[in-house]
Amino acid sequence: MSDQIISAPPVSAVPASPDAKKSRGRIIFLAILFLGLLLFPLTQAIFGGMNYWLHLMLYTFMYISMASSWNILGGYTGYVSLGHNVFFAAGAYLAGILLVYQGISPFLITPVAGLLALAIGLIVGLITLRTSGSAFIISTVALILLASIVMDKWELAGGANGLSLPLMGLKMATAKIPFYYAFLILAALTIFMSYRIRHSKFGLGLRAISQDETKAEVAGIPTHIYKVLAFAISGIFVGMAGALWVYYLTYLRPGLFLSIGIATHMVLMTLIGGKGTVAGPVIGAAIFIATNEFFVAQLGSSELNIVATGIMMILVLLFFPDGVIGTLKNRNRLPRFLDWE
Amino acid sequence: MVILETEDIVAGYGSGPDILKGISLQVEAGQTYCIIGPNGAGKSTYLKVISGLLPSRKGRITFKGTDLTGWRTDQILRKGICLVPSDRSLFPDMTVRENLRMGGYVLSDQKKIDQRIEEVCELFPILGERHAQQAKTLSGGQQQQLAIGRALVLRPELIMLDEPTLGLAPKISKQIFDSIEILKRAGMTVIIVEQNARMGLEAADWGVVLDLGKNSFIAEAQKVLQDERIQELYLGKKH
Amino acid sequence: MTQISQIIILGLSLGGVFALMSSGMTLIFGVMRIVNLAHAAFIVMAAYIAYWAFKLLGMDPILSIVITIPVMYLFGLLVYRLLFAKLIDNPRFVELTVLITFALSLVIEGLLSYFFTGIYRSTTPSYATDTLNFGPFYFPEGQFYATVVSIILLAGLWALLRYSRLGYAIRATTQNRTAAKTVGVNVHQISMITFGLGTALAGASGSLVSFLFTFFPAKHMEWVTIILALIVLGGMGSLIGSLVGSFLLSALAAYVSFNFGPTWSPITFYLALFLILLFRPQGLFGKKMELQ
Repeated sequence: MSDQIISAPPVSAVPASPDAKKSRGRIIFLAILFLGLLLFPLTQAIFGGMNYWLHLMLYTFMYISMASSWNILGGYTGYVSLGHNVFFAAGAYLAGILLVYQGISPFLITPVAGLLALAIGLIVGLITLRTSGSAFIISTVALILLASIVMDKWELAGGANGLSLPLMGLKMATAKIPFYYAFLILAALTIFMSYRIRHSKFGLGLRAISQDETKAEVAGIPTHIYKVLAFAISGIFVGMAGALWVYYLTYLRPGLFLSIGIATHMVLMTLIGGKGTVAGPVIGAAIFIATNEFFVAQLGSSELNIVATGIMMILVLLFFPDGVIGTLKNRNRLPRFLDWE
Repeated sequence: MVILETEDIVAGYGSGPDILKGISLQVEAGQTYCIIGPNGAGKSTYLKVISGLLPSRKGRITFKGTDLTGWRTDQILRKGICLVPSDRSLFPDMTVRENLRMGGYVLSDQKKIDQRIEEVCELFPILGERHAQQAKTLSGGQQQQLAIGRALVLRPELIMLDEPTLGLAPKISKQIFDSIEILKRAGMTVIIVEQNARMGLEAADWGVVLDLGKNSFIAEAQKVLQDERIQELYLGKKH
Repeated sequence: MTQISQIIILGLSLGGVFALMSSGMTLIFGVMRIVNLAHAAFIVMAAYIAYWAFKLLGMDPILSIVITIPVMYLFGLLVYRLLFAKLIDNPRFVELTVLITFALSLVIEGLLSYFFTGIYRSTTPSYATDTLNFGPFYFPEGQFYATVVSIILLAGLWALLRYSRLGYAIRATTQNRTAAKTVGVNVHQISMITFGLGTALAGASGSLVSFLFTFFPAKHMEWVTIILALIVLGGMGSLIGSLVGSFLLSALAAYVSFNFGPTWSPITFYLALFLILLFRPQGLFGKKMELQ
């Protein structure tokens, strides 16, 4: 796994020695980071008392994955989806129902959830991507609301009350560890996928679409196919995250997965970090969750949280539309270890 | 008598590069000027700066002795300068009459506006005929007449027309230039930007050649027409 | 037969109020291409104002329009000044404003939740529960008054747009922003005033809505989708369109509600929105939502 991250440095036109040093330094940094993350749960196993941090870390990994995934559609292609948690819910419902009725472990279902999300993405994408701009954004909102009403009434899944899932049967002390690794792997996979897309012909096409769709079309890029693919791919990891998350929560309820808050978080994290970049969603997720934890610690968990989310979003949109990574890059101040392009 | 003077105008769009790189021009009252030049030279941009639609980055604009630099469009309109834009800029869902009313937007006296509208309809009878029709139902030539008519509601001393024959058939273009003749005879100062260099120069007293944001040449229109370089560059004659 | 007519009457009676609710949003879109996703949050805000006026001052909610209109007008001017005035020349204007208004709606929802909690509220003037009888048909009294007030306000709006100098300026800016500039309209000022006006209409709607429905901070999400369905059907930017759309969809929703139960009627709007966006995004009378 770690091989795949560190063996994909961007190739510069002429590999002069400062660039070689740059990518070597970056590789070493990332390797160390990854190793640290891998070993971290051992502290819980050995010393205990780290459950809060384990939770926070895996929560961050999940959002890193979801934000990076969303970024493929929202950042690379420029189509903002405010209803992306439809995939989250799809994965969660699939895993939850199969677990309750068939006893299959969500860890096994996760890849299937990814495929389901891909399928849904293709179908929904074919329909909704006939619109663009604000029409598209609004259609994603309508989608989420439609889905939540339908889920509310679906008796098999417990309707509005949801289902309770059986626990994994692990001790309190080690219960979070498998999820930690699962989400870590998911995050790594997503970042890798994001990186590969960015550096592929497909990614180039997406970027052209986000700049000027008509010109891209004229230049011969099959915009509709690319957009639908981007939509579908961007849903895969979100679906997988849903399958894992429902198992972690041990509870399946429409409100948990279809709330506008989740979609907003994905958008906001990517915006804060810098949409359209590989590192952006990662940094954005980390910053957002850290700030959120800080505010919760100071102000307590209350409705003021969405006020803070909303205000942050407005400030970022008005003053830092390129996000942390983007703004730093514009001023040529981007530290090398954050430049994953 | 110099009615309009622009000194060293520098301008561009948004945060983009300078399109106008220092235009200086003196416009005499009652004369007709035709600005020609290649695409991207800044001809339309120049007119937009004078009318206040685009702020200048450097330079000064003086009209009848008053410094107009940085003025808002409504202030410039009241002073007596009107622009007829190249896309005609009509209000498609409003009727001909309502469009003409909008021409008088900066005036507060409704009676005066109505009177002026009548005068315009005398000049362009077709507008009077179709006064209750929506502007989008008019033909190209009629729309151009409406655009000019709208500018005339304010009885400007200086009227600027940006590509008045754009997209019009030759016969209609001739009609438009006939109307411009009437304006000239009424004593208005006219500035025209024309892609159809020959037609524009034949109607004008003076020819101004704009290239790459600077005015490279100004002379009597006939001289400009007969100049070999101009003929080669803009009138399509090969030597 | 009477039953269908009755349903239609019920539907149409709400149509007037929905038309008022959506008029502000479509007006704002027409002038400055802003899709104001916070419009319903503004309505909820005004509903709370009406609620507290009712509870603390005993003020009739319809009367509270006298308060909500000016208060929300000023609020609209403020929001425009703070959030949108500087963005006008930004190339990504449309996308940014959708996201900003969305975020704004969350801020408003959060603040309302924090100060007033999520308890379901409603003003309860006497007419909210009475019915009027017209021959074989009945008409809930509250809805009747609300419809009358809505029609009066909409007529006033129409007159303003048709006959006043401001109305001309607003229509000109809606139809061709550059042309408006050319004839000397101060489009920045007009944009700001229109935003205030649209928000004021939301304010009036809020007063009416306070006794027609139960509301709580998160209700705006449902309403904004309904309003969007109405104006997308009618055509973004077209007031007539929002009127037609409102009446059509309300009648349809009433029908669905009668045959399948009230919890299904929101779906009518969501589905309608989805389908229209797909097949005819410019609706019946309107302009496309992409930036020209």
